[in-house]
Amino acid sequence: MKILVVEDEKGLAESITDYMEKEGYICETATTVQEADEKIYLYTYDCVIVDLTLPGGDGFQIIQTLKQLVVTTGIIIISARNALEDKLKGLEIGSDDYLTKPFHLSELNARVKSLLRRRQFGGHTEIRFQEIVVVPQNRKVYVNHQLTTLSRKEYDLLLYFLSNIDVALTKASIAEHLWGDNIDSADSFDIVYSHIKNLRRKLIEKGAADYVQSIYGIGYKFSQS
Amino acid sequence: MKLLAKTNRIYLAFSLVIYLLTALAFYQIIRYLIYDEVESRLQIERRDFETYVRIHNTWSSSPYFVENKIEVAPVSQPPTSRRAFFADTLIQNRYDDELIPFRQLTFYVPIHGTLHRVSIRKSLIQTYRLIEAVTFTMATFLGLLLIGTFWFQGKLSGRIWLPFYNTLSRIKHFNLNSEAPLQLATSEITEFNELNEVLQKMADKMRQDYQSLKEFTENASHEMQTPLALINAKVEQLIQSEQLTEIQTHWIQTIYEASRRIVRLNQGLLLLSKIENHQFQGIQLIDLSQLLVEKLQDMEEVLSFKELTVHICSHDSFEAELPVALADILVTNLVNNAIKHNQSGGFIELDSSNEFLCLRNTGGTLVSEPQRLFERFKKEGTGTDSIGLGLAIVKQICDSYELSISYKETQGNHQFRISRLLPADSNKMIT
Repeated sequence: MKILVVEDEKGLAESITDYMEKEGYICETATTVQEADEKIYLYTYDCVIVDLTLPGGDGFQIIQTLKQLVVTTGIIIISARNALEDKLKGLEIGSDDYLTKPFHLSELNARVKSLLRRRQFGGHTEIRFQEIVVVPQNRKVYVNHQLTTLSRKEYDLLLYFLSNIDVALTKASIAEHLWGDNIDSADSFDIVYSHIKNLRRKLIEKGAADYVQSIYGIGYKFSQS
Repeated sequence: MKLLAKTNRIYLAFSLVIYLLTALAFYQIIRYLIYDEVESRLQIERRDFETYVRIHNTWSSSPYFVENKIEVAPVSQPPTSRRAFFADTLIQNRYDDELIPFRQLTFYVPIHGTLHRVSIRKSLIQTYRLIEAVTFTMATFLGLLLIGTFWFQGKLSGRIWLPFYNTLSRIKHFNLNSEAPLQLATSEITEFNELNEVLQKMADKMRQDYQSLKEFTENASHEMQTPLALINAKVEQLIQSEQLTEIQTHWIQTIYEASRRIVRLNQGLLLLSKIENHQFQGIQLIDLSQLLVEKLQDMEEVLSFKELTVHICSHDSFEAELPVALADILVTNLVNNAIKHNQSGGFIELDSSNEFLCLRNTGGTLVSEPQRLFERFKKEGTGTDSIGLGLAIVKQICDSYELSISYKETQGNHQFRISRLLPADSNKMIT
């Protein structure tokens, strides 16, 4: 799986590639429109993460070029612009997702995974982690081949964990993933706790091991060890 | 009231007064002239009568006086004053029972040694006719003149003020958001040209300032969000490292929370300035009540976690015209506010009609002044994670899209009520 990160802020590009590489992707970066164009013409990527405001042009140009060359490449825009027009324009010319800066790396990762799944298998693939199997197509979860009924938020939470295995997830990123940017109260962290508790209980009831670790003060980690 | 209507009205009132005064003066002058004429003729006849009496020392109906009414009667008691005097009188016409106005000169003459009172009368019927005719003609022509001038004045000022009204409508339709600059037509009148020039300059300056403000907003957004994204990303990476001590974790957590706060603050302020600058497009008629119900359903888990019950008294559609994105923010902020400042086991109540949208919630009593609740950075309690912009944003959205919002608290029940601004005010400005 190859990913191209087009971002002029070197530090941010570095963070994204580090994070993605840990997830097992091959990452390349480009900092200008020209550089991005060169790479696009030379290689094929599964997913391109592109910033809109770039030296030497606009991220929209890259998306347009990409759409002419390879139709199967997934495109995620990351931008500080959060105007609705930009989002609509981005989606209209063929990007698959739009993430407003600043975002959580874990959120970006979850979006990339979900996008690749949709692109490559049409959502037909199953996500497996030990005894847990998730079928995204019909939003079903099986533990030890038994169907486990999860609420909508619990399902989203599980998927978020499965996209970020062995990664410490902050409570803020979990709350925002589940309820969007608008959840801005301190209480939201308590409710994250209550959802994690429920999810954990439901998984354990069906015979799964307890994979959720609590990291003091920060959040949670879904991990085998 | 329109400028022209106002001046026309004043002009009309003034003309009417002048018209009435002129008519009255005219009438009085003609009347005076006629009376003067009649009276001098009566005086002449009196002299004729006296001469006749002196010569003949008697009186008999003489053919000379036939056309005059003359009445001679002996006076039994001497009158208090012997002076001659004029009077108006009405005498019945002996043929058709009509009362006819007469001018009468009364004087005293001794005939055969006895004092007689003599009244000579002259019919005023002809002169009255004359007065009537003159008055009528005058009133008609003056009236016509008045109406004519009035009509002409209306037409003329309508034409003269036309450039002014053109300018006015151009300004009304001038939109800072649109790319087109304000264009005003030149006219023959210097003052209007000067006015247009000044307006044009102002509009150009405004457009420039607005453009630079917009650019600044966007640049600030980008310039700040990117380093913030970097900080967040690095902190998140740091969190991933295994060898953190508890105290390091605590520091990282503090940095992370602080940076999240700046992010939200920055986003909130940008949003406020964007709403102020009317940078949101795509105004639609949106059922806010329905949106609120959906938002409450979205927050279902949060509500049940805080043990809050939702009562929907009625959710008849309350429709307002505003951009979709802002409608969503408006509703979200209201719901968040109602949840955040609620107490465990409390309730949220939605009541709406065609006229208003009302969201009530339980909660602690208010510490700060209610009217300052919508101010920026006005927070209830210091311990909360709130950045204090939620209600300021709600207020700004309402202000920008002809909605009014009011807050009321009674015994721990907090009520936010949104209604439409009465269209009367806006109509007044347009007409």
